[in-house]
Amino acid sequence: MKSDNFLHHFFFKVLLLFPALSVCTGIICEPRISLASSQNSVMRVIEQAQSPYKDSSVESAFPIFEETVLSRERYQGGTFRVLARKGKLDRSPCSACHTDTEVKAQDSARLTHGDIVLNHGQSGALSCLDCHSREQKNLLEDREGNAIDLDHSYQLCGQCHFRQKSDWLGGAHGKRVSNWNGERVIFNCTTCHDPHSPRFEKRFPATYSPSQP
Amino acid sequence: MTQDNNDKTKGSRRNFLKGLSIAAAAGSASLVTGCLPDVSEASSETLKLKWQEFFKKNYRLMTAAEKEETVARLERLAKLQNDREVRIDTTPPREKVLFGYAFNVTRCEGFMECVTACIKENNLDRKANTQYIRVFEMEPGQLDPSTGDGKYYHEVPVENKFYMATQCFHCENAPCTKACPTKATWREPDGIVVVDYDWCIGCRYCQAACPYYGRRFNWGKPDIPEDEINPRQHYLGNRVRPKGKMEKCTFCIQRSREGRLPACVEACPTGARVFGNLLDPDSEIRFVLKNKKVFRMREELGTDPKFWYFID
Ligand code: SF4
Ligand code: SF4
Repeated sequence: MKSDNFLHHFFFKVLLLFPALSVCTGIICEPRISLASSQNSVMRVIEQAQSPYKDSSVESAFPIFEETVLSRERYQGGTFRVLARKGKLDRSPCSACHTDTEVKAQDSARLTHGDIVLNHGQSGALSCLDCHSREQKNLLEDREGNAIDLDHSYQLCGQCHFRQKSDWLGGAHGKRVSNWNGERVIFNCTTCHDPHSPRFEKRFPATYSPSQP
Repeated sequence: MTQDNNDKTKGSRRNFLKGLSIAAAAGSASLVTGCLPDVSEASSETLKLKWQEFFKKNYRLMTAAEKEETVARLERLAKLQNDREVRIDTTPPREKVLFGYAFNVTRCEGFMECVTACIKENNLDRKANTQYIRVFEMEPGQLDPSTGDGKYYHEVPVENKFYMATQCFHCENAPCTKACPTKATWREPDGIVVVDYDWCIGCRYCQAACPYYGRRFNWGKPDIPEDEINPRQHYLGNRVRPKGKMEKCTFCIQRSREGRLPACVEACPTGARVFGNLLDPDSEIRFVLKNKKVFRMREELGTDPKFWYFID
């Protein structure tokens, strides 16, 4: 075995590049597709794999340092976590400003949310109170009047974007954080989308590809 | 006296090696020089390590101990030659795992964050601008990237265009692996198609056999700014390749085998990329295959790729 290996190695590393061999490229590469043998074989393998993957080596998965909350919805019968939102807001909790004290003129610019441009849905179709609760400033509110925590905004977004929500629950929309394995932690709607302007802004690509296949 | 002796032994080894490399050069293209130890090497430790490296086995035939040894040599060589601290691991495939990938054609907006993340993660040659991932700007209704623009550089997304990315699809029935005359490329049990860079002779048969333009050949030593080298490496993955080798996407084997997502998935700002275990019915990738309209590129070829495109 050992000497076989050696010969094999030596032969190919040192001698194989004789120009004559390059002629063979065509011959070797020609019958490149064996159609009948295994078409759709991976689909068959997938169909047969029906027991959930449980791995004890989950601890090797990369630790997630971001703050997460346990989702209030289920995913394929199980629970999962989503990235928290409240800690990421500049002006949170809302009740820090929304008190009964009067607003002084010099604070008004900062306190009236004049920096927020609502660019969500058809222009003029939505207003602040379609999502925010009038009474409880720390909370969101859906159309039925249910209060919704800012960390669980998917409950609110899903009332219109129900298709995206079911894709998100299943994993075809949005994404997992860091790991494909281990406890499922996924991005919240508001991790990626600015709720006041949910479309991604146009920008230049991060790089370009100079050569073409 | 000892000095003399040393010189003598050095001299004779030199002559021996020189003779060998001349013999080799006579019958081979200049690319092979990347494999043979360089006789002018200053340090004898380097020379010894390179020599041992040259005569090691194909990765698939190595015992666990031999894998340990080669990795230790490679790490030491990185230190000796480039003063680089790297960790090369040989993490094996996990049982009951078969990796699969899905790409949401509706979501991709052409930002190419995946491409830059891949370049950094996988220690790709900056000088030749090697990229494993290619993103194409496509006309509506077209589904073949060869009809798209792979060289765009303007603000994206452009109205009425869509974006579609390609990379190695890790075919179950991979024609590239069958074309290799040295068995330097193969499909691992978790479905990742890999290259043993030290066994590859750079003949590029595999590249010709791939119907998806999945493979990249490095014509030169990878040029990477020293402080940008990713030191967390895998033998079959992102370790810095010698010159004249075939390389390609490995689903970030150094990450995915540890339970992490490939760099491109993690970098994608739109969530267009889904990765996971095809054998796990609860995985996201299985959800996509079951619930979305999926297709694979040139499925009629029978290559059986583990990379699906889907639309919302
Ligand atoms: S896409 Fe090309 S390189 Fe990748 S496995 Fe398939 S044939 Fe091989
Ligand atoms: S380039 Fe390397 S991996 Fe590809 S066929 Fe030749 S020896 Fe095999």
